[in-house]
Amino acid sequence: MRVPSNNYSESLVNQLNTLRSRQYNLQNQVASGLKVSAPSDDPAAMTNTLNMSADKAAAKQYSSNIGTLQDRAANIYNVLQKLQNISTQAGADAISATSDPNAKVETKTTLLADLNSYLKQALELANTKDPVTGKPLFGGTSGSTAPFTATKDADGNITAVAYSGNSSVNQVAIGANATVSVDVPGVNTTGSGVPGLFGDSRSGADFFQNLINLRDHIAAGNTTAIASTDKAALEKDSDNLLYHISNNGVTQTRLDLTSTVLQNSLSALDKNISNQTSADLVETMVQLNQAQNSYQAALQSGAKIMQLSILNYL
Amino acid sequence: MLGLFGTLNLAARSMQAMRTGVEVAGNNLANVNNPAYSRQRVVLETSPTIDTQLGPEGTGVQVRSIEQIVDSLLNGRIQDQSSVSSYWKAQQSSLQDAQNGLNEFLNSTGSTDASTSTSAATNSDSSLSARLAGFFNSFAGLASSDTAGARQKLVSNAQSLADAFNNISTQLGTARTAANTSISNDVSSANQLLSDIAKFNKQITTAEASGGNANDLRDSRTQALEKLSGFANLTTSTATNGQVNVSIGGQLLVNGQNVADTLQTYADASGNLLVQTTTGAAPITLTGGSIQGTIQARDGALGNLQSDIDTLANSFITSVNSLHATGFNASGTSGNAFFTGTNAGTIKVNTVISADPSLIQISASSTATNDNSIAVALGQLGNATQASLGGKTFSQAYSKIVGDLGDSLKTVNDHVDNEAAVTTMLSAQRASVSGVSLDEEMTTLMSFQRAYTASAQLVKTVDDLLQTTLSIKR
Repeated sequence: MRVPSNNYSESLVNQLNTLRSRQYNLQNQVASGLKVSAPSDDPAAMTNTLNMSADKAAAKQYSSNIGTLQDRAANIYNVLQKLQNISTQAGADAISATSDPNAKVETKTTLLADLNSYLKQALELANTKDPVTGKPLFGGTSGSTAPFTATKDADGNITAVAYSGNSSVNQVAIGANATVSVDVPGVNTTGSGVPGLFGDSRSGADFFQNLINLRDHIAAGNTTAIASTDKAALEKDSDNLLYHISNNGVTQTRLDLTSTVLQNSLSALDKNISNQTSADLVETMVQLNQAQNSYQAALQSGAKIMQLSILNYL
Repeated sequence: MLGLFGTLNLAARSMQAMRTGVEVAGNNLANVNNPAYSRQRVVLETSPTIDTQLGPEGTGVQVRSIEQIVDSLLNGRIQDQSSVSSYWKAQQSSLQDAQNGLNEFLNSTGSTDASTSTSAATNSDSSLSARLAGFFNSFAGLASSDTAGARQKLVSNAQSLADAFNNISTQLGTARTAANTSISNDVSSANQLLSDIAKFNKQITTAEASGGNANDLRDSRTQALEKLSGFANLTTSTATNGQVNVSIGGQLLVNGQNVADTLQTYADASGNLLVQTTTGAAPITLTGGSIQGTIQARDGALGNLQSDIDTLANSFITSVNSLHATGFNASGTSGNAFFTGTNAGTIKVNTVISADPSLIQISASSTATNDNSIAVALGQLGNATQASLGGKTFSQAYSKIVGDLGDSLKTVNDHVDNEAAVTTMLSAQRASVSGVSLDEEMTTLMSFQRAYTASAQLVKTVDDLLQTTLSIKR
């Protein structure tokens, strides 16, 4: 084949450009660790990566939601523990009131003071607000105002407690098709849904009214009523509390497990994305070395060939 | 017999022929780096013989012509290849603009996967894909904790998402405008070349009328034809007088030394520029060249991209607004659309909502204002498949759009690489025929130089003989 003079230079320039371009791409891959950075590099890998990135972002949000729910569940659990203490104390008071029908007036006064105090504590707990949102923990989904309102007598003692919330609870997404609720409505008389914490038609729990009844029966010295109805009613409240404590624990366990699953899922997504987009550093470095060697060889041979012509010998 | 004076004339003719050879070799050497130049060669022939008693006697040498060493078939193939290469390059340019406009590039997170010793990739926070995910996640976050901050974050993310849609629409619009500008510029350049080719035809005819070949003019015309074929695929026919007629899209545009018609752009119903003849106003259907490549990219991949993004945006706006419309805001009222607009270019967060995020309607009940059902539903809307998007989620539909563009650009890139290889190969083939070789030309130069010296020596010898003859009389 006849090779004219400028073919050397044109061919050399083309080869050098190709090799420089290859080195540039490989160097970028080594520096970034990525073999895919633009859609045109590998359209299928890019599509998969974007889908997995969206899944990752969702998983992170679900993790964040779980964190929020765990905090709220812990707040609710604190309230439940305090209510359980009150319930236990009230039960003890009921036993105390019936065990000694001739108890001194001082003893009776102390029991009444205790029960009035329990009622006030319980009312405060019933109107506890979420520290983050500032909304009631036990008002259902009704609104931001305190869900429990007390009626008091002239002495400031609670004679009745009314509930203005509803029996609904909010669900929160913790997975693509999974929601969970840690909320507990204050009262549920609908016969369905999440049982109410302070009153529930299915379990017969009526925390405030049962405490008020106990107090009033102690005040009236009606030990029969205490023994026959109040103790049993307090048992129902205690059972309802235990149910909620247990349910809270189960929900928190579910949240912990889901959080772990999400963390595993995030790791798996990272690995899958890496498989789709990451450069094999060893292979890339070898290829870069090959490209560099080829580049050097092209420069060396080109420089030697281009130096020589018949002019060197005339 | 020639006699001494005849021999002197023979030597003079020889010197003249050798001088021409030196000149042509010199011209070849001067154009060694001119890619449009085709090497030339002096064609020598023996001078007419004269009859003598001894029979016909030679009278030396003379130049018959100066020939161009060209392969017309190869030139035709290069011309066609120029059209094909330019077609793909023009598409590449437009699609690269579109890819940049989408802003979907992966970056290294810097975190390293211990099992592979490589870092994971992430898409840019400013990309539409990230903002789409961020929008739905903001609703999910708001559902888990309805605070003023969460509502503000949702509005902010929604505005970022709308901005991303707007930016892409603007970028694609800019790419379309750039494509139209490119078509317009290419048409102007093509018209100039049509005019040049007609001029070259005229000059070549004039120059060759008195005999010989107008080699340099033919080179220039070949170069102009190759440039023209870069803009549009053309067909040529050569007349007996050496003039080249040029047709594009079946329309005769150069007829000998006259420009029969030129090209002009016209806008279709969508404002996209197309090409027609100026005088005949006949629409021209091109199949190659940068003009058609740009049209193809603009109306093909770019047009599909714009359409797909608008469909995605429309479906997104409709779905979000439909769900949002079923909800009630923090005050228990409703009636505000979350987004306004109908496509990627017009989508905006409702200014009423952006001014007061408490108006976001996330409750399913007008009385239960703490309810988050609509926020949960809107958060999960990101996972829901949409019939209007072919049974894909919004993220999946967008990923497919990105993948489709990547696929188109990859195909075009592959074509550009392949055509570049073919062009390089054809150029090398042409260079092997028409290119100038320093070694060859220097050898030829020396050959003519030696012959010239020999002829000059002949003149000197004849002169000596004449001197001798004249000295006989003294």
